[in-house]
Amino acid sequence: MKTPAFAKGGSRSLDRLLPLILLPVALIALGPVVRLLLEGIGFGDGLTSAHLATVLSRPSTGTALLHSLITAGGGTVLSVLIGASFAFLVALTDIRGKGALVFCLMVPMMIPPQITALAWMQMAGPSSTLLKVLGLAPPLGSPQPLHSPGGIILLLGIQHASLVFLTLRAGLRMIPADLVEAARMSGAGSLRVWAQTVLPLSMPSLIAGGAMAFVTALGNFGILAMLGIPAGYATLPTLIYQRLVGMGPSVLPEVAVLSLLIGAVAILGILVSRYVLSRKGFGLVGLSGNPLALSLGRGRGAVEILLWGFIFVILGLPLFALLATSLIPAYGVPLTFASATFDAWKEVLFIQPGTRRAYGNSLMLATSAAAILLVISLPLAWLMERRANRLSRLLDALIDLPYALPGVVLSIACILTFLNLPFTDMTLYGTIWIILLAYLARFFVVMLRPIQASIAQLDPAMEEAAASVGARLSRRLRDIVLPLAAPSAAAGAILVFLTAVNELTVSALLWSSGTETLGVVIYNLEDSGETVMASALAMSIVLLIVMLMGLVQAGAKRFPKGVIPWQS
Amino acid sequence: MAELSFSNLSKQFDGVAALDSINAQITSGEFVALLGPSGCGKTTLLRLTAGFEHPSAGEIQIGGHTVAGAGQFVPPEDRGVGIVFQSYALWPHKSVYANVAYPLEVRRVPRAERQARVAEALSLTGLSDLAQRMPSQLSGGQRQRVALARCLVFDPRAVLLDEPLANLDLALRASMQEVFSMFHRRTGATMLYVTHDQGEALALADRVAVMAAGRIRQFAAPEVLYREPVDCFVAGFVGDGAVVSARCTGQTDGARLVLNVLGQEVLSRSATPEPSHVSIRPESIAISEDAPLRARVTGCTYLGGQFRLTLDTAGETLVAFARQRARIGETVGIRLQDLWAFRDPGGVITMQRALAHA
Repeated sequence: MKTPAFAKGGSRSLDRLLPLILLPVALIALGPVVRLLLEGIGFGDGLTSAHLATVLSRPSTGTALLHSLITAGGGTVLSVLIGASFAFLVALTDIRGKGALVFCLMVPMMIPPQITALAWMQMAGPSSTLLKVLGLAPPLGSPQPLHSPGGIILLLGIQHASLVFLTLRAGLRMIPADLVEAARMSGAGSLRVWAQTVLPLSMPSLIAGGAMAFVTALGNFGILAMLGIPAGYATLPTLIYQRLVGMGPSVLPEVAVLSLLIGAVAILGILVSRYVLSRKGFGLVGLSGNPLALSLGRGRGAVEILLWGFIFVILGLPLFALLATSLIPAYGVPLTFASATFDAWKEVLFIQPGTRRAYGNSLMLATSAAAILLVISLPLAWLMERRANRLSRLLDALIDLPYALPGVVLSIACILTFLNLPFTDMTLYGTIWIILLAYLARFFVVMLRPIQASIAQLDPAMEEAAASVGARLSRRLRDIVLPLAAPSAAAGAILVFLTAVNELTVSALLWSSGTETLGVVIYNLEDSGETVMASALAMSIVLLIVMLMGLVQAGAKRFPKGVIPWQS
Repeated sequence: MAELSFSNLSKQFDGVAALDSINAQITSGEFVALLGPSGCGKTTLLRLTAGFEHPSAGEIQIGGHTVAGAGQFVPPEDRGVGIVFQSYALWPHKSVYANVAYPLEVRRVPRAERQARVAEALSLTGLSDLAQRMPSQLSGGQRQRVALARCLVFDPRAVLLDEPLANLDLALRASMQEVFSMFHRRTGATMLYVTHDQGEALALADRVAVMAAGRIRQFAAPEVLYREPVDCFVAGFVGDGAVVSARCTGQTDGARLVLNVLGQEVLSRSATPEPSHVSIRPESIAISEDAPLRARVTGCTYLGGQFRLTLDTAGETLVAFARQRARIGETVGIRLQDLWAFRDPGGVITMQRALAHA
């Protein structure tokens, strides 16, 4: 018989050390938000509501808030119309090519809003290269129709339709098939079943999807800045941006109040969506399945043409317009076979130091953010799933905040937090590190949730089996958890990369000369009239995004359910 | 190999008692089954032994060393106890060979010895040809054997099996039972086998601990459980037959008591002078036309070689074996012989309550 050698103490050190990562994570992810809240009540100058009162009573604040609500509200209505139509048709009918259709509907969500705006602007207005080619351009001097509240609402609606689509489709899949069959047995036809059974049952998802679209539209900066600023139509995010860019850090207390205002509206929206989702379901019981497989019969072809036509208009046309503009030698020159040139592409990709630096910065930031988050999220997700305690549960509940809050709010929060590093004279403001920290805070959930999902689906017996044969925690994490969670972690990393490489909202407020990102450079190029170069740069980014999305799509079968945002 | 010992072991989950003061000794090399309906605490006892749970009170010893309790806790990786899970818990990203080799890798066993021991474990479980397969390419029975090989390759001090046959079909269960028996004979390992299937427990184990509501009701050899159950629950849960209340007449006949059962005076074996119930196994009922006790046939199923009759008499349901088929509704005479009596006042109610959870 072997002599027992029971190790004591020491060997379990990782078990004790691991929970310590909760602290830095909480500091980076939630510290800035807390700091911003403190600023609102006059942190540093003693408790005061003076700032709050001054800023909130200004007429410009009210106007911007009203504009924000109008555009976000209008955009939400449009998103719900588009997203719901697609969701009902894709989930409930027998149309063909659903996978491709869904992928194409998701592309606008992944394309950064400033590129969407740029592309649409190339499609309308007197200088549109595409319209010139077709001979449809309005006369010079006529206004750009998209530089208006209506244009903003249109683009916001299209950009966020996929949020409504995804939420609603997930909800539709939860509806038990037998409810529908029961309705049919009672003699209801397809349309009546849809209107009287499916629609009421899917209402909670529809409302939740709408709330998400509203919150996201509220925080959208790219579209509001590209279309709203030229039109002189101020919204809360652009007001904050213009104040801070125009006056510098001295207006921080003032913009902090503005960002608290927009944050409060956003949180209200999130709470509504959570409340609706928590009451979701009228206690749906039964096997979920395809609730309806409505046969469209002879109308199927027409519906398919309609859907693809719509996709072409919201995705194909703007991208064609963007491509066309990127191929002309100078803005205003008509595109012909003779005039087409790749000069602008060469210029932005290889010659201009600013754009090359931006590419370098964005790739570096996106890669670092993805890599750092990957390394932290794996043990963190394990901790949250397997060793949940009060602190980890609190973090779990709050870590959505930096991602759900409008980007300007997080930016202001980061500036406040890192302007003067505690206990030192150093500042991170104006360095690339503040952007990286903001990205880490903002994209934490994007990485964490997929890994969490895959660890939650992992049979705990896998790890227990490894423990019983003698593997310690570090080995179990390395040999068992890591390889099994790797596909989801990879998907999460690509998602973080995709989102970060296009980021504009956060970096617009945090960049300075030398640390500009791709999003910022596109915006600045367009702002200074270099539309052709902006288009070429934007087009190159769209290609990069579609390629990365394709990569994730190709590995779709290896990921657990819910990892890829455009699949459910 | 090592003996296992539990003393006053209790476990509560959020204040609800899952195990209540368990005391048991399992000797080195013994094959013990934990038998009980679901929710009786048998899996909790297994997980406490493995080290996946901390006891709320009491002590666990493995090979004479305290592994849990008295302010000590040895983590699972240091207990040297192998476990075979109901779900098999094979690592899906490792081949059969890599699954079985992993315990040795963790122990830094040199490569040559590792290969030899893995090959031995694979051949013992009949898996040599499947070494390079991935778990997803195996059938249920093959996966079970990989789990077993992975467990035996590192010479564990004890082997714990958590309902290992629950996910297999009937035919495979019988052949896997033989694999477990063979495995136990070959290795002489101390084995703790959790099951809710009394057939498995009685067939495999040297001793069976019958559990209900977090307590061990009886811990004895299978034949003792069957012939001499201590209470209504064990009598009803183990084996076929009926439990019927009995009245003492105060008379004895040698070592046996004379009891009044179903209005008849019958001789019973017993460990107590004042029993309250008798266990009537099918073998204890002889069918004869001239017997004074009459019973109505309510069911008749053919078991191969004999018929199993359910009989209704004086409001009680009895089970008997018969050579000939009986018509349903027919009345037969029965004679009771060689009964076992025990004292368990109010026992039928607790039995029903315990079985209601099953």
